Amino acid sequence: MRLSRDIALIGAGMTRFHHRIHEDKTGRELFVEAALEAKGSVDDGIDFDDVEALYLGNFSSDAFERQAHTAALSADWLGITPIPATRVEDACASSGVAINIGAMAIASGAYDVVMVGGVEKMRGLSTGGVTDTLAMAADAVYEVGAGFTFPGLYAAIATAHFAELGSSWEQLAAITVKNHKNGALNPKAHFQSEIMETAKRLGERKNMTFDDELDFLRSSLNPVVAHPLRLFDCCPISDGSAVIILAAGDVAKKYTDTPVYLRGIGQASDAMALHDREDITTLRATKLAASQAYKGARVGPGDIDVADVHDCFTIAELLATEDLGFFPKGKGGEAAAEGRTALDGDVAINPDGGLKAKGHPVGATGVAMAYEMFKQLRGEAGGHQVSDVRYGLVHNVGASGATVAVQVYGR
Amino acid sequence: MEFTSKAYFDFIGEGKIMGTRCKACGDASLPPRPVCKECGSVELDWEEFAGRGEVRAFSVINVPLSRMEGRCPYAVGVVRLDEGPSVSGLILDVKDGGELSVGSRVEAEYVKEGEKTALCFRLVR
Repeated sequence: MRLSRDIALIGAGMTRFHHRIHEDKTGRELFVEAALEAKGSVDDGIDFDDVEALYLGNFSSDAFERQAHTAALSADWLGITPIPATRVEDACASSGVAINIGAMAIASGAYDVVMVGGVEKMRGLSTGGVTDTLAMAADAVYEVGAGFTFPGLYAAIATAHFAELGSSWEQLAAITVKNHKNGALNPKAHFQSEIMETAKRLGERKNMTFDDELDFLRSSLNPVVAHPLRLFDCCPISDGSAVIILAAGDVAKKYTDTPVYLRGIGQASDAMALHDREDITTLRATKLAASQAYKGARVGPGDIDVADVHDCFTIAELLATEDLGFFPKGKGGEAAAEGRTALDGDVAINPDGGLKAKGHPVGATGVAMAYEMFKQLRGEAGGHQVSDVRYGLVHNVGASGATVAVQVYGR
Repeated sequence: MEFTSKAYFDFIGEGKIMGTRCKACGDASLPPRPVCKECGSVELDWEEFAGRGEVRAFSVINVPLSRMEGRCPYAVGVVRLDEGPSVSGLILDVKDGGELSVGSRVEAEYVKEGEKTALCFRLVR
């Protein structure tokens, strides 16, 4: 989709994603922390009075914190009322969709500057409670009612991909290893250690040693969550928030000489239940959203240097790299195992560690991906900077693929 | 009778798998839907499905929903019925991923859980 005005990303901030350090904070407090960092990142400064609207991605503060109505509450706590504040809920794609809505609000001429945020405070619930809450993003009657958990749905996708396209769990393990390696270079990541480091630490407690990554990932310290996916195939349960500030191209220069531009956006929906999809091994909504975003940006998959894709499970990254057109169908696993998605690969996938290592506070994820593109395209990503980035792509998936939002960013 | 989840589960309680067939384009849908997902027609008939099919995708769950606690590991799958549409359901008495394959043949079994009846499947050995 091509927007009728240029849209610039002029600032970005995020909390670290983590399970423990935010224990004493509520969602609104995490949002404020991210928003203040976003404000501080605007090169020539910005007054919050310039912000004309807030769009906030938030999946389920209702269940996690017994708190609904989080957009107005967040605006209130940041001191930016009385601007319109709107919550966006599309499961794990909530804030990726919020970015598109913010961009369209500017393109419509209604506003020149908007704030887009995402927040999730998940750790107030037990693992069982989180499992129940995440499952609300799937078809509650016909999938969850039938016994599927959320990891179970992606596990089922994996069994179909293995059987139909010949990929393997070992290829998924390569994605785990790569994303933890990247996460170790990202000070905002939930997990900041490479797999062998983790293996050593966990092994010491149990008097176990491991020859290599696969030896550890096949061990009892990496239990099966939902066959064929093990614990280290799944993203952790994290708390966090991320915030970006978008401005119309014609006012962006007031705030910075080096904005990042949102060149194309896309969004699509699909049948909610896996059983209603003709092809279980492809997320059709990813293909459609990506094709809109590529068209808007006038680029193709081969032009993308770096991408944050939605790896809530390792199999989801494999699918994404195929459905976004980086690799042919059935070759995504092979590409990962060959290192073609590493920081110095053909296309750097999830240089920030991805959901797998960076963490996945559900509603914050889409904006946290935009934060990463802001850093990558300005050459400010530090230890996990990809070289010569011209175009970056963000791919944010709701649940098992019923919602997908894609953005292409450029300089 | 309206094409609702209530009607669907009432039929399951009687041991019948009932979905819809579109009078306009002939597309079959399971569970029943009020609007044909292929052509948008609202002219639909009830259609009974025999309950035999094959596994398209599956998992064996070790970290359960809270209502399934104490029942792990259990298998759940996407089953394509021989008439075409697919449905999700438990695959009974499977405890390990190695016991099941994509393509395994299964048949329906109706399991009473309190007031409700669930559509489940069992491997055809």
